[in-house]
Amino acid sequence: MSGRPKYLTRPALAALAALVVVGSATACTESASAGGYVKDGALVTCTHLSYKPFQFTDDTGKVVGFDVDIVDLVAKELGRKQEIVDTPFEGITSGEDFNTGKCDLSAAGMTITDEREKVIRFSDPYFDASQALLVKKGSGIADLAALSGKEVGVQQDTTGEVYANDNKDKYGFTVRQFEDLPLLETAVRTGQISAAINDNGVLYDYVKAFPETEVTTEFDTGEQYGIGMKKDNAELANAVNKVLKEAKASKKYDEIYKKWFGKAPGESAN
Amino acid sequence: MAMSKRRRAQMFRYLQYGILLLALVLLIVFANWGQIKRSFFNLDTAAAMFPDVIVVALLNTVIYTVLGFAFGLVLGLILALMKLSSVGPYRWLATIYIEFFRGVPALLVFIAFGFGVPLAFQVRFDIYSTVMLALGLVGAAYMAETIRAGIQAVPKGQVEAARSLGMSQGRAMITIVIPQAFRIILPPLTNELILLTKDSSLIYILGLIGTEYELTKYGRETLSRSPSLTPILIVGLCYLIITLPLGYLSRYLERRTGGRKVPSPEASGLEVSA
Repeated sequence: MSGRPKYLTRPALAALAALVVVGSATACTESASAGGYVKDGALVTCTHLSYKPFQFTDDTGKVVGFDVDIVDLVAKELGRKQEIVDTPFEGITSGEDFNTGKCDLSAAGMTITDEREKVIRFSDPYFDASQALLVKKGSGIADLAALSGKEVGVQQDTTGEVYANDNKDKYGFTVRQFEDLPLLETAVRTGQISAAINDNGVLYDYVKAFPETEVTTEFDTGEQYGIGMKKDNAELANAVNKVLKEAKASKKYDEIYKKWFGKAPGESAN
Repeated sequence: MAMSKRRRAQMFRYLQYGILLLALVLLIVFANWGQIKRSFFNLDTAAAMFPDVIVVALLNTVIYTVLGFAFGLVLGLILALMKLSSVGPYRWLATIYIEFFRGVPALLVFIAFGFGVPLAFQVRFDIYSTVMLALGLVGAAYMAETIRAGIQAVPKGQVEAARSLGMSQGRAMITIVIPQAFRIILPPLTNELILLTKDSSLIYILGLIGTEYELTKYGRETLSRSPSLTPILIVGLCYLIITLPLGYLSRYLERRTGGRKVPSPEASGLEVSA
């Protein structure tokens, strides 16, 4: 072996040089988002299943619901096709789904709150809601006072959770948090919790399918749902708001409402 | 250019170093460090997580893991003995159990226990019982095979010696074989403990009260309120606080038992294990 190690031989240098060129070439490719959208020709919606009747899968496995139909109107206006991505709710409410380029907007029965408005941009309100109490039929629990010493279930990251936590000390109940709505509702049926607090729209839909449960009261929280977007996406927000305005004026909104809730907006609940 | 084999090998080695160095350089140059810092290293968020992340989340993770491990170990031992039994139905039951609980995701087992069983059988468990049962059922399926191999690895000479001293089969099993078996399988059991620690992250699905949160749930809760992924990093580090020492312990135990792996070659006579 020769005295001095010649590792910088010509072949080695040539190979390294080639690698540098190839490496910098590939590393420089940036996926150019199609004019601010995450996917060409599509309007990608983040949502959290299942939240019947706002978003859920029907018998054929297709995602359908009130929110889906509303966003379809937006997609039609923009000349794009809606694609739905099911993701954990906290990614939606924290805005991380937009920051990571997962979707263009989120429609998930999401209430407009100051907290959420810090990190995402909301459209104009498109649905009025309030919180409601789901209990086992015949339990006799008709208000929060009756829940003293009991467990109340809520869904992770919802305004119902906030409402429950705001009131738990006053009325003396414990709050148990569930990942999603179906598990929460099942926990009422198993008796693991005495009651569940969630949006009235979804709870009324549930008791139709499971008559051993009932909604005994509503809490007028004056909530409104909004469609979420990236904080700086003014362009999309304007488009969405335009579509919402037109839908309400043209009665298309009422049509969609009646399709999923069985009555026109403003008619009294059962 | 004719090169000796040695030169060629040496060049190839240097080339690989070159590639690694290049990859590192590209990573450093092209990573968006501002974004990474904002996404993972938000100090305010991290500071706000203490002490709850330790006294509530970490503590709960440890409690759940220990409960599941204890129950799983006892059940696993029973299953291992069933599998070694001369009674046919015992062997079949044990095999069915092990194949089933090793074959389905632990998350499904949790859902079944947290919601399916109460719905079907009109029973209710508190959270700690549910976790102990669910984690334990899954853990037992994995540990049963390990324990069985450990029992079979104990030199047959031990049983023969015990019997010749007048001990019954059962007495020999309990006082002679099983203790030795456990010494042998301590490393893989420690590994199982690490796996259970990570599986404890799945119990969020059962529905938790704030004081019952384990690390992953705590991390996700904090994540939903913060603008960065720092909570995930902190919680991950907490898991490592548990699992890294366990891994180290496992390797240490493996060295101490003379590196004897399960199953070990049969030894003869009245050999007493080291």
